[in-house]
Amino acid sequence: MTSGLGAALAIAKKDIIIQLRKKFEAFSMFLFALIAVLAYSFALVSQGSIPADVGSAMLWVIIFFMGMFGFAPIFLSESETGTLRGLATAPIPAWAVYVGKVIYGFVLMGIVEVFLVPIISILFGFSFLNDIPLTVAVLVVGTLDLSAVGSMASALVMPSEAKATVFPLVYFPTATSGLILLIEITKIIVLGPGVVPIMLLFEILLAHLIAMLTLSASVFHFALSP
Amino acid sequence: MSNTRLIFLAVAAVISLLYVYMTWIFSPPDAILGENVRIFFQHIAPALVAYGLFGGTLLCGVMYLWKGDLKYDIIGAVSIKLGLLFTTITLLSGMLWANAAWHSPWNWDPRETTTLILWIAYACILAYRASVTDREARAQFGSIFGIVAFPMVLLSYLSIRIWNTLHPIVIDESGFHMGIEHMMTLFVAMIAVTMIALIMVELAYKVDSAYEKLMRIRMSRS
Repeated sequence: MTSGLGAALAIAKKDIIIQLRKKFEAFSMFLFALIAVLAYSFALVSQGSIPADVGSAMLWVIIFFMGMFGFAPIFLSESETGTLRGLATAPIPAWAVYVGKVIYGFVLMGIVEVFLVPIISILFGFSFLNDIPLTVAVLVVGTLDLSAVGSMASALVMPSEAKATVFPLVYFPTATSGLILLIEITKIIVLGPGVVPIMLLFEILLAHLIAMLTLSASVFHFALSP
Repeated sequence: MSNTRLIFLAVAAVISLLYVYMTWIFSPPDAILGENVRIFFQHIAPALVAYGLFGGTLLCGVMYLWKGDLKYDIIGAVSIKLGLLFTTITLLSGMLWANAAWHSPWNWDPRETTTLILWIAYACILAYRASVTDREARAQFGSIFGIVAFPMVLLSYLSIRIWNTLHPIVIDESGFHMGIEHMMTLFVAMIAVTMIALIMVELAYKVDSAYEKLMRIRMSRS
């Protein structure tokens, strides 16, 4: 268990260092998010503003689509550089490879979100100040959830003939259930208490994250040994 | 055709006729919805059977990864196709019901929305499977995909309990909230649709297995 976690952290560290050297991936994701903000603003702005519930929902929609840029290359880059076989044959548990990639995806998205979330909240005119601890918890759990799904989706598209086209088809079905919950929770944080208790939704989101991590980690060795 | 299969088909035919009789003649009109209540039986039974079929995809995925037998992959793929068919029936009958009850065929109700997402999600699995040409890889990765997509089924099922919804909760911990005739009709509808689904799974499995064999023969000759 300890060696597995150590290996996962080592894989994540390797990917983060490569990412910090390249830089362009995180920056491209950030720019894509800004373009999406502009594109949505054309459709949503009415009399100089966007309703707070719509704006806060769009935050997760943009992060969801941004994930396609961040998560798709997670295993594709390993395949292109010829290191995927190395990962598959390394004397470490397969789940460690998966967890390492989830941590990397989380850090990558987290770096972008640190800049993106305040910018979107200012441009779309909503505030998370109602409940900052819950906002941070939702951002952490939500990003981890998308990363868990995105990493698995990236591994699943490996044998496909059209990887770039198929990635959204794999990412969408598995990520949507988490996305619905994230949008709902964020709306409640921004607008105040609603009919559905916020903690119930947060617990379901947490259960979704645990289910995705457990399911994916337990079958991941099959994805590494086609 | 074996005797067991003949008996099963005969029982399925009798229960299906009973289903038609109970839906259109036996079941009385509802106090509020009137004759429109008959749509209800064409809506609930296919919905629950679709959930069951997607559950079958999950089970077949686990079995394929465990045993490595291609028949589980074929049954899993068949379950997706038929699950999509029954989800389509659910969506269409739901739209008829919504138009009668709420005066609009589509209301973005949480159950409606999550069912539509479920349809798209499993259609994506089919599209994904078609993009993988290597047969073993398609079975292996398709099985994993069928397993990790299952939480969406749970969310769709639980949506009316999580969110404020237009959908009435007719079955909960305290029992069935409907008249005895409607409850009996729903019970028969469930049995009939489940039996029809099982017959369709078997037929589709045979067709797909034959197609697999044909492809293997073609591959070995080329």
